[in-house]
Amino acid sequence: MRRRSLRKPYITIIEELIKFALSVFLLSVLVFTLARLAPGDPLYAYYGERVEKMSGQEQEAARERLGLDKPIPVQYMRWAKGAAHGDFGISYQYKRDVKEVIAGRIGNTLLLGGLGFVMIFILALFLGLFCAWREDKRADRVVCRIGTLTSCIPDFWLSLLLILVFSVWLGWLPSSGAYSVGAEKGFADRVRHLILPLAVVVLGHLWYYAYLVRNRLLEETRADYVLLARMKGLSGKQVLYRHCLRNVMPSYLSMMAIAFPHILGGTYVAETVFSYPGIGTLAYESARYQDYNLLMVVSLMTGILVILGNMFAKILNERIDPRMRLKREAQKEEVRGF
Amino acid sequence: MDVLTVKNLSVSFYRPTGEIEAVKNVSFSLRPGEILVIMGDTGCGKSVLCKSIVKLLPDIARIKTGQIFFQGKEITDYTEKGMQELRGTSFSMVFQNPMTALNPCMSVGAQIAEAVRLRCPEISRRELRNRVIELLELVELDCPKERAGQYPFQLSGGMAQRCVIATALAANPAVLFADEPTTSLDTEVQAQILDLFLELREKMGMAVIFITHNPKVAARVADRVALMRAGELYRIGDAEEIFEETIHNHH
Ligand SMILES: Nc1ncnc2c1ncn2[C@@H]1O[C@H](COP(=O)(O)OP(=O)(O)O)[C@@H](O)[C@H]1O
Ligand SMILES: [Mg+2]
Repeated sequence: MRRRSLRKPYITIIEELIKFALSVFLLSVLVFTLARLAPGDPLYAYYGERVEKMSGQEQEAARERLGLDKPIPVQYMRWAKGAAHGDFGISYQYKRDVKEVIAGRIGNTLLLGGLGFVMIFILALFLGLFCAWREDKRADRVVCRIGTLTSCIPDFWLSLLLILVFSVWLGWLPSSGAYSVGAEKGFADRVRHLILPLAVVVLGHLWYYAYLVRNRLLEETRADYVLLARMKGLSGKQVLYRHCLRNVMPSYLSMMAIAFPHILGGTYVAETVFSYPGIGTLAYESARYQDYNLLMVVSLMTGILVILGNMFAKILNERIDPRMRLKREAQKEEVRGF
Repeated sequence: MDVLTVKNLSVSFYRPTGEIEAVKNVSFSLRPGEILVIMGDTGCGKSVLCKSIVKLLPDIARIKTGQIFFQGKEITDYTEKGMQELRGTSFSMVFQNPMTALNPCMSVGAQIAEAVRLRCPEISRRELRNRVIELLELVELDCPKERAGQYPFQLSGGMAQRCVIATALAANPAVLFADEPTTSLDTEVQAQILDLFLELREKMGMAVIFITHNPKVAARVADRVALMRAGELYRIGDAEEIFEETIHNHH
């Protein structure tokens, strides 16, 4: 404890940075190696069906041109050298710079995932509070049952169901894409295309977090301090909002920080079923067709997001929870005193 | 007139396995300004008795029979709304473990302030702060100004219990329920808190229902003593009388 308290704050930052860099490096080695060990031929991504008509010699030449003939460590060194200069190679499938391919799509995923995250964040809190307030009453039971049901339906099945109802039967909403051809800038058109995928993203995660909030709140309502608060003359609902919620918030916020990459990464089912041009579809395609360079960047982006989410959660937790915050401040005092 | 009268009160818990009679046919009354000690072994129904009077029983428990009168008015059938009016102003409670009775994520000052503001919502920030400090001084917490901004985990058990008592006294209750308020404290701190109860009773004139299973604690504060066993209140009388009797019975 003593040694730790004497550490200067910037050392902690350097430590975190080293940890971060190491994690990213290990992740890149892992993805790089695994992708190459997986069965399949990246030439298919580049040439499509034409590969089958190419002679052995032609295939060798193509491999050499793409740098796929060398042993894996050598290939990795080459990739790493390029990556250090911001050059991540070209996508075999799109025959364009990987960065360009991603840049064209990332906005769509951020919109879908970001909006989904915000909605999940708010709705989960709201639903959890509602259920905790009506604990074991009819409303709580009904919401719990519906929630369990929706979280049991697989995402792709739910997507198909929604397409069937809202696109095929009712014809209210489009079943695929991010916008209609020729209406790329139309706001209303954009929203109409977003509704169904967003519904899948939100419904896929919502109950998990809402139920967690509900149960954490109910745990709190059993705590002793609730009795003291009730004895002041507060109603059960007031105690829930003013006391229990406050105690649940630190863990909810850090949980949601970890959930952010999870939800953003979880858009791929919705993207795939709705042919929504985002990173999710890209990740799926790149893994399936051995589009190595693209796969690397998409995996690294996701990995970095996960690591950052976890770091953010830790910082958040230390700032919000008074117990942890005051412990930190006491440590800082000691450093200054020293 | 008695501040609180309980007549033939029975409380049961309804579990899937069956009914548990926690309080059986209990009757007693509480005189203004007195300290009535309810004594009995763990599990005999002391806490349930208190909670049933202030109607903070868990959902599975119910008052089966009996009547409760507060200052001559029957409150047995009061709804939650009516009870909320009574809690804080007429009834207050102090608990066994002060560390868990305070919200861990709120400064103690804020928790006391909440109780004050609930009864006078128009109070200014400055007045509120003064009132909180005043209450902390009343319960003889040292350095009340600094302590008000601290969190429960920064306080010792004795200090935390003083804060709980300050919260309970915020709206000048007529009856204070103290449910084993010293059981979790060291002997020395225990004595200080007992003295505090006696002092507060002098200053504020509220009646106290003091629960304990410790005869020494009872002897120190009691005006009258009620004895409980297995849900029944089988004897009530002046402190000296009861203690003499029990000593007699033991020898
Ligand atoms: N939540 C509960 N569920 C079922 N029975 C309970 C519950 N709480 C208390 N009881 C019953 O009430 C009796 C009295 O409990 P309590 O009043 O807490 O005892 P004490 O005198 O130690 O304060 C217990 O012995 C138990 O049988
Ligand atoms: Mg008890």
